[in-house]
Amino acid sequence: MGEKAFELKREMLDHTFIDLVSPDRKKLLTCIQCGTCTASCPTAYAMDYTPRQLWRLIQFGLKKEVMSANSFWLCTACYACTAHCLRGIACTETMTTLRRTAMSLQVGNTGSMARFCEAFSETVRRHGRLNEIELMTTFFSKAKHMWAVGYSRLGITLWRKGRVSLGPSSLNVDRLEQIEAIYRKVEELESKR
Amino acid sequence: MKYSYMPGCSLLTTARGYDVSARAVVRELGSELIELDDWNCCGANVIDSTSYLLSLALPARNLALAESENRELVTTCSSCYFNLFRASHLVSKDASLRDKLDQILAAAHLRYLGQRRVRHLLDVLVNDIGIKTVADRVVKKLTGLKVITYYGCQIARAHDEYDSPYLLSAVDSLIEAVGAESLHYLWKTRCCGSVLMTTERTVGLKLVTELLTATHGADCIVTVCPMCQMNLDAYQDEISVRLGARIRIPVLFITQLMGLAFGLSEKDILLEQNIVPAKGLLHRLEKAGERDYR
Repeated sequence: MGEKAFELKREMLDHTFIDLVSPDRKKLLTCIQCGTCTASCPTAYAMDYTPRQLWRLIQFGLKKEVMSANSFWLCTACYACTAHCLRGIACTETMTTLRRTAMSLQVGNTGSMARFCEAFSETVRRHGRLNEIELMTTFFSKAKHMWAVGYSRLGITLWRKGRVSLGPSSLNVDRLEQIEAIYRKVEELESKR
Repeated sequence: MKYSYMPGCSLLTTARGYDVSARAVVRELGSELIELDDWNCCGANVIDSTSYLLSLALPARNLALAESENRELVTTCSSCYFNLFRASHLVSKDASLRDKLDQILAAAHLRYLGQRRVRHLLDVLVNDIGIKTVADRVVKKLTGLKVITYYGCQIARAHDEYDSPYLLSAVDSLIEAVGAESLHYLWKTRCCGSVLMTTERTVGLKLVTELLTATHGADCIVTVCPMCQMNLDAYQDEISVRLGARIRIPVLFITQLMGLAFGLSEKDILLEQNIVPAKGLLHRLEKAGERDYR
């Protein structure tokens, strides 16, 4: 979180940006910068721009500034901001829309959280359910994470406590076809847009 | 009463103690959780970062399955609850979204009519079964046990018509029903950091540290979410080293605590799976009571 200064130039403003990233443009435009979202946010302190600052940048259409910020990758989707927003802005859903935009445009800091989300979706597609071991191995190989060592210690603790199951819990094969059909149809509908 | 039950992915692995104790406690109270066949992952708070439609279609499949079973769908996981609620809520509000979801489910030969809503186990315990029935079933009053009630974020917040007010006193009233004391705790619905513990560890650790350091004077933390339990339970050693002060407080699921008061064995509620030992919690309580008495 901080005061980032930059020189504002007309060509930096993209007025179509708000439509791209806001599920509800009209409401986001009513943000009065009260800062309740930031005060409610448990991770605002670590963000390049706090939620409040982010809404303002979106209102201005400062696409590059917004997309390159780490802010929406640090959102935990706890919905505190949404619950408290006096204007009824869909703050959390805006954060996730920003993530999807960054991932589809391949811009900004699509770091470890993006890799995690991809790995998660892949394992659910394969088994219909989350397989934690597969998720962690895919994630660590995608993100090339050095923390893997630290996590193997946690893995051993969980294993000793009987909290890890090795065999993936998959759906029955005929039901897995339903999951694949859902993924395919979603891809088809989303590519139409 | 019989309910369709969706445990959620975590309850099959890292939070098995929640699954086992929830089934046991509900059985003790004369109801039954019947697992929904071939339920799928609800998408957690992760899938919506990859696809909006998928984040609604995955829970919608479970809602469709539950509708065909003609029973109420109950879940114990905050994330499942939130996502199932979100899907049924958004579909009922938005006709064009409903049309898209119909198409997606049709591809899987399913149909969701929107007649079933999801219920959290807490809601069932407090509003269907009732606090009095719970209190009547107690054989071992947990008198003297000081509990931090931690709801976590997802169960507590959501959309405009969300029914959080009564859920937000549900755990406290259950804790009182089993004779324990729920302490004042400022962070009841503060986020535990969720998957940040994996993706942005320093940020995740800071959130959990804040939650844990405020639990002074309590014998245990009680939670209703598999993710919260994991984050609060699994990193206490690491946080103690970082702080240079020892933090060691058991983190139980509400159904584990109820199981203890119902006289179930520690095995029946998988208490040995808690990382910070919760085994012997009652024994320690009894011993402390004797000491005070003398």
